[in-house]
Amino acid sequence: MTEPGRMDLEALLADALRPIEPPEKVAGRVESTLSAITEEAAAALGSWAEELSDSELESLRDPRNWVRPVAAVAVGGLAAGALVVVEARRRRKPTGLRANASRLIGDFGSELRR
Amino acid sequence: MSEGEAQAPSKSPSPSKAELDRDFSELYKAHLRDVYSYAYYRVGNHHDAEDLTEQAFLQAYRHFERARQESDGRPMRPWLIRIAHNLAANLYRDRSRRPVANIEAVEPPAHPHTTEQVVEGREELRLIMRMLRGLPEERREALIMRFALGMDNREIARALGKTDGATKVLIHRALKQLSELMEAERGEPRDD
Repeated sequence: MTEPGRMDLEALLADALRPIEPPEKVAGRVESTLSAITEEAAAALGSWAEELSDSELESLRDPRNWVRPVAAVAVGGLAAGALVVVEARRRRKPTGLRANASRLIGDFGSELRR
Repeated sequence: MSEGEAQAPSKSPSPSKAELDRDFSELYKAHLRDVYSYAYYRVGNHHDAEDLTEQAFLQAYRHFERARQESDGRPMRPWLIRIAHNLAANLYRDRSRRPVANIEAVEPPAHPHTTEQVVEGREELRLIMRMLRGLPEERREALIMRFALGMDNREIARALGKTDGATKVLIHRALKQLSELMEAERGEPRDD
């Protein structure tokens, strides 16, 4: 159950924090900004479509013109793969007689320090 | 304004631009007063409240389609208030200072009572506005949402990014602290 003091406080708060009616100009301002944005977006979309000539649109649809972008992506992918392999090899620990000897000396040194 | 007025429309596969604009227009009409009231009590003056309201609706418009899908039919008001809440926080941060006028500077609304009651009542209201200023920001925000906007715990929780339980505790503590501040100001002894 709510205490009487708290009820008074809540009534006082409801009285103090009444909703504020926005001035007329706020509604007008928001609405005009929103319609400006919508019109701009529509105009931008329209002009972009108009800028493409018929021949450009036709060439976009022709699969023969897709070879170059596909080849570029494939070459880029191969290059990235090669880089990954090179980096992985570089990071791999060295093996062989010399590497083992050097690791043994290192381990021996740390044992001595203990 | 009841919360049910601007429920998010049920999901459709891909609403057209015209449908989205129409739904956004409904949302805007239903909650302009809520966003403005929140902004006003948050920043304490009409000038900044107008800017904040405009920015909040612009941002809401940009992200409306995704927010509507994610809301899954739940009311959109908490999302709108959350946008205004974040913008107000940015406003303070960008200016690197508190607003010129704050909630304590807000004049309490007029009441249709006798002059004596009005004077006494207005003093009480001024006091409570001043004491609200003494609350931590999150508690003050929760009280603004509850009393100025009539939001329930669940809506406030969504607007503040909290759980329902944490919001209930937050409001309880805010009221308790406010009551203590009021008593201390009036010089009354506390019960606890």
